[in-house]
Amino acid sequence: MATVAEEWLNICGGCEVAILDLGEKLLDVLPSLEFVHMPVLMDHKYFGQTGEKSELEIPEADVGMISGGIRNEKEKHVAEEMRKKCKTLIALGSCACFGGIPALANMYTLDDIYEKVYRDSKTTESADTPSKDIPPLTDRVYAVDEVVNVDVHIPGCPMNPVIILEALTCLLEGKPFELPERSVCDDCPTKREEKSDVGLKRPLQDAEFTPGEYNTMRCFNEQGILCLGPVTRSGCGKQYNGNGEVVPRCVKGYMPCRGCFGPIREGANPLIDMMTALSSIGLDAKLVEDRRALLNRYIGGQNRLRPLPAKAGR
Amino acid sequence: MSEEFEPKIIAFCCNWCSYAGADLAGVSRLQYPPNIRIIRVMCSGMVHPNLVIEALTKGIDGVIMCGCHPGDCHYIEGNLKAESRAEAIELMLEDFGLEEERFRLEWISASEGPQFAQVMKEMVDTIKELGPSPY
Repeated sequence: MATVAEEWLNICGGCEVAILDLGEKLLDVLPSLEFVHMPVLMDHKYFGQTGEKSELEIPEADVGMISGGIRNEKEKHVAEEMRKKCKTLIALGSCACFGGIPALANMYTLDDIYEKVYRDSKTTESADTPSKDIPPLTDRVYAVDEVVNVDVHIPGCPMNPVIILEALTCLLEGKPFELPERSVCDDCPTKREEKSDVGLKRPLQDAEFTPGEYNTMRCFNEQGILCLGPVTRSGCGKQYNGNGEVVPRCVKGYMPCRGCFGPIREGANPLIDMMTALSSIGLDAKLVEDRRALLNRYIGGQNRLRPLPAKAGR
Repeated sequence: MSEEFEPKIIAFCCNWCSYAGADLAGVSRLQYPPNIRIIRVMCSGMVHPNLVIEALTKGIDGVIMCGCHPGDCHYIEGNLKAESRAEAIELMLEDFGLEEERFRLEWISASEGPQFAQVMKEMVDTIKELGPSPY
């Protein structure tokens, strides 16, 4: 029996739904798991059930799972406590692994964000930045592994339940777990001709495809629709026991990859690699709208997105 | 010891023109600031944008890419490649939140020792004004 503590930080809650998405497979692993702390499911308070304690407390567990990045001091504190109490710590989902969508805020300084949200926005009555009874925000959005050591990363927005199951099984059996260093393109069935003869299309334009036939569909990038497949780790299309044809999840819905699985390997630079990939098929990276945010959509933590330097005339 | 900021600058010099130009500056005993670290490459066209960005994000404050004058390239059009790569590099600097002045492309031939020293002096002055790289 392994004890599990789960914690959600700066997150939408989709990762917890992805755990439930294990479906009947969850019933197979449940007997060997005991959840000792999980705010989304259980009424377990940090400072004792009646608030009688003065220190934040999380019960000890073999496996700790954290979903969501770190946006405020409370979340930082919880992450540190989780690290102290858990033998193995898993970062669940893109927010925990790379900062995720909320990390797009790293393009601006905290002061800019406060100004925009509480004062500059036309539809808001201007007010002071609230500071009473709420934890202060950290200077930027952090991925969990920037604050504490993380043993296993499971990226995805949301994660693929197959990978959660695989990782949990590996941990229960004491085996190491690692996602292969493959790109989404390596698993993508679409047809590539290494050349694009159309320009970049607008982001919401549809790709051309025949429903059900992935093999005859032209590569998204070659159709002029920005797809982050070349610089994104593969795994989203994985099936139980390797059954069935592997088609990346977004491609399965005839949509280009959005890059939620993050860089292919640690230390890779998706921004540069993507520009190289675009220019190698003859597209102009300069014409990509909102390029910086688009290419860093899920990976803005870990210092990838940062405010632009102040400069006269910009 | 003075506390003045001493930038680290990498100069990618092509083997056939700019490196010889640097050599000429050296043998002519022209003074230029010691902040420059020269890396000899066979052609300015082989300097991948990755190298420039990696340098700038891992502790270097400025990068200067030197090649032969257009038309003089030993590999006929390597420096034109460098020029189009420089455009891509400028785009990336923007994406990485770096000032575009941190990167510079210069044509320096083998006979232009004084110009090499001059360009390096200018580059060091620009970077000193900008301050250290934000990374």
